[in-house]
Amino acid sequence: MNKKRDRLAVIYDILDIIRNHHNSMKITPLLRSANLSSNSFADYYAELISKEFVKEMIDSDEHKYVTLTDKGFKFLEKYKLITGFIEEFEL
Amino acid sequence: MAHPFIFEPSMFITEISFTLIATVLCFLIYLKTRESYTLTKHEGIKYFRDAFLLFGLSYILRFILELIIISGFAFDFIIPRDMFAPFFILSVGYVSTLGLWYLIFSSVWKNFSRKSLMITGHTTAILLSLASFFLYSHIIILYAQFILLIFGVILIFRSGTHVKKISQTKILYILTSFLWLINLFIIDKKGPSRIFGAWGFWIDLFFQIVSIIVLFIIYHKISHWLK
Repeated sequence: MNKKRDRLAVIYDILDIIRNHHNSMKITPLLRSANLSSNSFADYYAELISKEFVKEMIDSDEHKYVTLTDKGFKFLEKYKLITGFIEEFEL
Repeated sequence: MAHPFIFEPSMFITEISFTLIATVLCFLIYLKTRESYTLTKHEGIKYFRDAFLLFGLSYILRFILELIIISGFAFDFIIPRDMFAPFFILSVGYVSTLGLWYLIFSSVWKNFSRKSLMITGHTTAILLSLASFFLYSHIIILYAQFILLIFGVILIFRSGTHVKKISQTKILYILTSFLWLINLFIIDKKGPSRIFGAWGFWIDLFFQIVSIIVLFIIYHKISHWLK
C-alpha cells in the first residue's frame, strides 16, 4: 500500500548517507550502508543516476565515487515538506 | 413556476470574475506542485496536479459555452450556437470528466494499475463527451458526472487506509467536484435563474463564492507545505 512512500524514503536514506559522508562515497560502502539487497540497490542506484540526483566521479586513482548533484541536495531539502504534503492530501 | 431568463450585466461581470479567479487558483495549484512532482515523480501528485489543470481548463471552456448560450439575448451579436456549442459541449465533457477522474485517482491510485486507471478515465470521458455532443446537451454531462461523483466518493472512502475515514482533505475533494457540477448547472437556461427568478443571481453568486473559498483553502494548504 505504501510502496511509493517507502520508495521515496529509501531514496532519501541513500542520498542522506552520501551527504553524511562529505558528499563523496564509493559504491560498495554505500550498498552496505543502504541496507538493501544488491538487486534492489541496483534499481535504486539506476533511478538516482537517471533522475540526476547523484553523479559518478572517478578520481586520479581510477576509483569510482558517487556524489550528490544540486538536484539531490534539493530533494533532501524538500523531502520532509513533500512527504508532509503527500500525507496531508492523502495522495 | 419557471421564470423567464433575465440577463443582467452584473451577472455577466460576476461570471467573468468568478471564471478568472477559479481558473487562476486552479493553475496556481498546478504550478505550485510542479517542483514536488519533478523531484519525486509521485503518481498521486501527478493525478492531483493534472486534476486541477483540467479543472482550470474546464472553467474556461464552461465560460465560453455560457457565452455561446447567452449570446442570442444578452448581446447585440449572436455566436452561431449550432455551429460552436456542440464542440464546446464536447470539450467541457471530456476535460471536466477527466478532471473529476484524476481527482479520484489521486486518492486511489495505489489500488489499481496505471493502465486500468488510464483506460477507465479516458474511455468514460470520451463516451460521455460524445453522448453530450450528439444529444446537444451539456446537462447530460451534469447527470453523468453526478453519478461519477457518487461512485468516486464510495471509492475514496472504501480505499482509505488512514485512521481518519472522513478527513478534511476528502471533504475538500468532494466539495471541489460537487461545486463544479453546481457551476455547470448554473450556466443552463433551466438553471437557478429560471427556477428562482431574481433570486437566481444571488444563488449563483453564493455557489461561486463558496467555490472560490474551497479552491483557495486547497491552494493555501498546498502553499503551507510547498513553500
